[in-house]
Amino acid sequence: MNGDKSSAAAAKPCGADPMNDLRLGAARKRLVESQGQEDAIEGLREIIANFLGSEEIGLFKVDRRNATFEVYWSFGIDAENYDLPRALGEVGLRRVMGGECHVERPSHGHAGAITKVQAFVPICFANQTIAILAILRLLPQKQSFDRSDMELFKLLSDEAAKPLFGASVNSKVVTEGPGIRA
Amino acid sequence: MSKKILVVDDSKTALMMEREILERRTTYQCVTASDGEEAVEKAQQEHPDLVLMDVVMPRMNGFEACKRMRQQASTREIPIVLVTTRGEESYMEAGFQSGCNDYITKPVDGAELVALLQSYLGE
Repeated sequence: MNGDKSSAAAAKPCGADPMNDLRLGAARKRLVESQGQEDAIEGLREIIANFLGSEEIGLFKVDRRNATFEVYWSFGIDAENYDLPRALGEVGLRRVMGGECHVERPSHGHAGAITKVQAFVPICFANQTIAILAILRLLPQKQSFDRSDMELFKLLSDEAAKPLFGASVNSKVVTEGPGIRA
Repeated sequence: MSKKILVVDDSKTALMMEREILERRTTYQCVTASDGEEAVEKAQQEHPDLVLMDVVMPRMNGFEACKRMRQQASTREIPIVLVTTRGEESYMEAGFQSGCNDYITKPVDGAELVALLQSYLGE
């Protein structure tokens, strides 16, 4: 697999790309104004479909105590049968659990098969990854993620936890337990 | 008098974004609808200069709404741009068969959208 470090730390200064600023503003507004968790999840689906270009998405809660991932919500995929740790691999798992996005870019794998473009976005609260947003395939008219997508991932990583998980987000911050291993 | 665009989408997020683009990057007025049926009604009431419409929507999809607008004298000549996640040729052909003038795929590039609208409405 061809992993890629996709920290959005090198974001452009605000106003350098006005259209992207509008997009980020709309995404932020949609999350902040969501009316309850269901609406926040719908907002997340709309953001990914309309701004990013994907309709195959999974959101997995992190259970640090039991070192597992639980399906929280999915769209367009068979999430119950999806092996998230295997898809992430050791490097990817370490990155997302450390709060960084992990992006898989297309490459020729074994026997010439082309791996698809995917992204795994940590949803963070209190400096911990409490869930992972998996974007598993892009629409055919979009070939890869770009810099503005990385900025959108950072926004989701930093700001989606409370709208998505509501008051229960505090109970997800676990300081004990074996942690997650690949 | 500034041009008026009817933006139609069942997604609150998409409506929010398209409205932001139109209000901040153009001088066009924006009215909205959240499904095809409402779009047909609003097109008759508001007489927009262009309709920007999603395809997959509840109650009435964009293809059907487009056909209805083409059947009515008051809305027959309004340019209609369809917006969709599907970019296949057969899907685009279905859009043109329904009477749309143009087609743009999601994710929508803001600059591309503004250029497309300006090609129909001027700046």
